[in-house]
Amino acid sequence: MSRIGLLVPSSNTTVESEFYRALPPGVTLHVARLFLTQIATDSILSTVQDLEIQSRNLASADVDVIVLGAAAPSFLKGLGYDRELIKKIRAVTGKRATTASTALIEALQHLGVSRVVLGAAYDDKVNAIAQAFLESNGIKVLAAHGLGLVDNLVVGRLGSDSAYELARKIDRPDAEAIVLACTNWKTMDVVEKLERELGKPVVSTTQVSVWAALRAIGRIEGVPGYGRLLRDLAAPSQQTQLA
Amino acid sequence: MYGWRGRIGLLVPSINTTMETEFWRIAPAGVSVHTARIAGGRHGTPEELRSMEHASKQAAQEVAMVEPDVVVYGCTSGSFFEGPAWNKKISEQLTEITKAPTVTTAGAMAACLAAGGHQKVDVVTPYVDVTNERLKHFLKAHGIEVVKLGTFDMLDMFDHARIQPEEIYAKVKQITTPDSEAVFIACTQLRALEVIDMLERDLGKPVYSAVQASAWQAYEAMNVDPKILDCGSLLRKLSEPGARKEAVKKLRSA
Repeated sequence: MSRIGLLVPSSNTTVESEFYRALPPGVTLHVARLFLTQIATDSILSTVQDLEIQSRNLASADVDVIVLGAAAPSFLKGLGYDRELIKKIRAVTGKRATTASTALIEALQHLGVSRVVLGAAYDDKVNAIAQAFLESNGIKVLAAHGLGLVDNLVVGRLGSDSAYELARKIDRPDAEAIVLACTNWKTMDVVEKLERELGKPVVSTTQVSVWAALRAIGRIEGVPGYGRLLRDLAAPSQQTQLA
Repeated sequence: MYGWRGRIGLLVPSINTTMETEFWRIAPAGVSVHTARIAGGRHGTPEELRSMEHASKQAAQEVAMVEPDVVVYGCTSGSFFEGPAWNKKISEQLTEITKAPTVTTAGAMAACLAAGGHQKVDVVTPYVDVTNERLKHFLKAHGIEVVKLGTFDMLDMFDHARIQPEEIYAKVKQITTPDSEAVFIACTQLRALEVIDMLERDLGKPVYSAVQASAWQAYEAMNVDPKILDCGSLLRKLSEPGARKEAVKKLRSA
């Protein structure tokens, strides 16, 4: 038995459901909530304020890894910000930790991808920060498009068809992969279908969070139905092969 | 939105690893579980159990953001420890914060025993003596006598989850008496849900657990028939024609 600890923005109605469904037998999920109502930069800052308290709450359930399952709150301040948050979590809990944004970079590197298109639920301001975060981590963003939403509950009400349609709209031949950002946006239902239709990896911030958590606990037998990344969990890194 | 049929806001003691797992296991399509943790320590001392009343308010504020259809305060001892009035106070506070009906595990325990018409029950707990005495008092205040109480006698609440389902099965069989009309397995950290159905079949009397009773009241509050057929008669009753309305009526008149 392994336990994954997941830090969820309090107004997120999606990531718990999508995470649970994707977990293999013998892995359980344990959640703590961080305050977040609006995906605007000011309230993202406040989200991390109780990061330490909620990390301790998860550590008291003796989870094997702690995942900050929120994309914007972990890329907000650009390059290295996600690593700072990981350090904070580790310092107060002694647990392994990661964030949705860290997992996103690692997943793209793992796939050997350096040129992407970015689709997100965010407004242009937050989406620009997402783009800058990716680029400062060596990922070229060929095009970025956001749905313009700041109210997190509204994002949770979107159907997964909104992710499907946006991904198809922003795809272009020179993009090596498609990135779908925001863990409150339903993406897990459409990743597999999009990959089949577009013939390239589709990477969502929820999917990469599950991927990073399973790798951290050594459960690498693979989960079907959510795209290449989770299906081929044991696959060697493309980047390692190239090096 | 996930949880389009019903969203459960689940408040668990931070050390609890069982209740989220069992709630997700039985959640049908369209029902989602959104958890917040009640900050606290590992040891179920009186001070710790009392502190949960205050700490639960913070967790309720966090889970209120998902606009839950019902809020579950998922701790038995943390809701019975200071008696029925305290339990009621917790319930009212959480409803005020979340604007949703609140189910407490101690309240669900009393309600399911009342709905079954039981007056003499056996109880299995993981608690130490002081907590077991408080449990008996709570049930007595609801007109229910504890015939026999069997305990794993562990102060460390995190370790309650290490007790295996087969150990719970064995303990219930070992302590239950012919005089009791039913058995209640207390503590949302005990993995009882996996053995309830077989216990009922093997003992020939109703067997309830803390998580099961909490789920039962939560689905009633949401007016959702979850079609949970393998976790005991209590949850199955939610799927019998008319039975849910009967239970609601009984609760209201109780």
